[in-house]
Amino acid sequence: MADDEQDLKEYRWETGYEKTWEAIKEDEDGLVEGLVAEFAQKAARKALTPRRGPVRLGMMRHLLVAIDCSEAMSSQDLKPTRFLCTLKLLEKFIEEFFDQNPLSQLGLITMKNKRAEKITELSGNIRKHIKVVQGLLNLALTGEPSLQNTLEMAHRVLKPLPGHASRELLVLFASLTTCDPGDVNTTIQNLKNEGIRCSVIGLAAEVRICKKLCQDTGGDYGVVLDDVHYRSLLLEHTSPPPRARALDAGLVKMGFPHTAPPSTQSDTEPPITICMCHIDEGEGVGGEGHLCPQCRSKYCSLPAQCRTCGLTLASAPHLARSYHHLFPVDPFEELKNDGQSQFCFACVRSFTDVDKQIYRCNRCVEYYCWECESMISSTLHVCPGCASRPHLYQRLPDTS
Amino acid sequence: MADDEIPSDSSTLVIIVDTNPNQRYITEDPKILTGCLDAVIAFANSHLMQKSRNELAVIGCHFHKSEYLYPSPGKPLDVRQIDGQYELFTLVEKTVKMRLVNLIKSQPQEEKPGESLLAGALAMGLCFISKVRREASPALKISSRILIVTGSSDTAAQYINYMNVFFTAQKQQVLIDVCSLDKHLSLLQQGCDITGGLYLKVPTLEGLLQYLLWVFLPEGSERKQLVLPGRGRVDYRAACFCHRELLTIGYVCSVCLSVFCKFSPICTTCHTVFKIGGPLPIKPKKKKMKV
Ligand SMILES: [Zn+2]
Ligand SMILES: [Zn+2]
Ligand SMILES: [Zn+2]
Ligand SMILES: [Zn+2]
Ligand SMILES: [Zn+2]
Ligand SMILES: [Zn+2]
Repeated sequence: MADDEQDLKEYRWETGYEKTWEAIKEDEDGLVEGLVAEFAQKAARKALTPRRGPVRLGMMRHLLVAIDCSEAMSSQDLKPTRFLCTLKLLEKFIEEFFDQNPLSQLGLITMKNKRAEKITELSGNIRKHIKVVQGLLNLALTGEPSLQNTLEMAHRVLKPLPGHASRELLVLFASLTTCDPGDVNTTIQNLKNEGIRCSVIGLAAEVRICKKLCQDTGGDYGVVLDDVHYRSLLLEHTSPPPRARALDAGLVKMGFPHTAPPSTQSDTEPPITICMCHIDEGEGVGGEGHLCPQCRSKYCSLPAQCRTCGLTLASAPHLARSYHHLFPVDPFEELKNDGQSQFCFACVRSFTDVDKQIYRCNRCVEYYCWECESMISSTLHVCPGCASRPHLYQRLPDTS
Repeated sequence: MADDEIPSDSSTLVIIVDTNPNQRYITEDPKILTGCLDAVIAFANSHLMQKSRNELAVIGCHFHKSEYLYPSPGKPLDVRQIDGQYELFTLVEKTVKMRLVNLIKSQPQEEKPGESLLAGALAMGLCFISKVRREASPALKISSRILIVTGSSDTAAQYINYMNVFFTAQKQQVLIDVCSLDKHLSLLQQGCDITGGLYLKVPTLEGLLQYLLWVFLPEGSERKQLVLPGRGRVDYRAACFCHRELLTIGYVCSVCLSVFCKFSPICTTCHTVFKIGGPLPIKPKKKKMKV
């Protein structure tokens, strides 16, 4: 999230201390408990708010992740080392990424010895990416990285993709220097022209060229403070970015493989067929699978792109997982607790003195506790009150 | 899901009872509802008997709104022991019956009953389960599930609410079990499949309590050792937004992922205008194949 406030202050270390303790005061009865609870509530809510973005998102994402594998990664300021910490977080990132962007593709690049090397092709195969990340554990960390070579490679890989897909690069950069063969500014301009969004997470300190790269291409730049901060910076990239520029929107033809129930159960063995996604490895021979509705090629897992006819194959839940971005719940109104309601509509918890604020949905006019409010807006995306009222539950455009 | 291997210290059960008067079994014989309700209450009490720390909620889903039948908000009812029955069981039975009568009385007279809005009740159930988890000590292993008992049919009208609820349940490791009293429910069956719960369409209503006790009483970790009804085949075709028909090949808006059965120049959901010239060409991946 690029907030202008931070940019004015130039560097993180110039922003000064936050004197949180000064805000703690006793209430009329000389008690701090209520205030502490309110504090905790505010902090928890603040952590959630930046997630509410604009509704139009680029959802078929293509993301390249470039991992610095140079000497700078062996530093031990992150435990056990910058590199091992990165690999551990990356595994989690890959899983979360596909959880939130089910029809998307990911590719991994390593940066070392002035070179950029593709270690996985762009694909939606989670297992493959994780296997490769785990395989990096014993990699020798040598030389200097080259930012420009990495950007050039990302440009080559992402440029040919159709315009309706979002194209992104995320660089995990530990080095304070880069070894570039030419003028990196030209490369940045090329990326900008293609609408490729580049973000950088710095593991050491702020580097001017990285900041410029992110600003010019509309990406995010963050510098890690510790491993917890690293984790949250990295996971922020799992939620879809706001559409950086007017991408060409399109209608994509898609197949939804439908497995017909077996006709006669034990009489005839199902014909032996080979799964197309495992054809290279020589495994995946068996009966069960999803057939491409256009050419009958078989795949053992979805989503996949048919290797024979090119159709994108998915199942309904793969699409539905992203629908909450489309129809977000209208934010609830925060009200001072004046006894409007005795209990939370969703979880039947009684409101007590600790609940200084309660929340009201202005469509169904039900009252909620702050915990339910944050669960509804961040995870559930369904207002329980609205969803059980005949006049309010529908959020689809009415087509009847 | 790694931690449903280990038996839990406590289990939370939310039962959603569909009380919509337009269910076929009720329109045929309104008295059967009482029988079903007794079976559900007996089942709920069996759950409380399993472990002393077990938690229970019962939500009534009527056509005009859903409400907690148990626990009652605020102070619990005052119950005295009746012929040796454990007080808690009496409390559950009394509270559920009294609050159900109030729920039915509050239904608008002039309105015709529509579809049962089970997705809303499921959302309430998930909030209840989160609350129980928040209030419990962190060392306690809690398993949670929601059981829906319904004789309604399902339509695509609640599709998005259902999907949001199913994926939240999956993330929070809450099983969704469905006991259908009448028709096959393909959407709710998807929910069982996504969350790892059980789906059962009972053949007769007479033996309802037996089905509930045999199939739905064991919690997730105990189910592996039992022979329970299989998942069966789940239909995962997408429904088009224009006609709500199931498709094997469809067109998906790249901005909002809405599904349509034919090409149209504008997306009716997000109002994006597509480039003319038909759907995007798809280039097959160049890949050498040895067959
Ligand atoms: Zn396969
Ligand atoms: Zn095909
Ligand atoms: Zn609540
Ligand atoms: Zn509402
Ligand atoms: Zn249609
Ligand atoms: Zn659209």
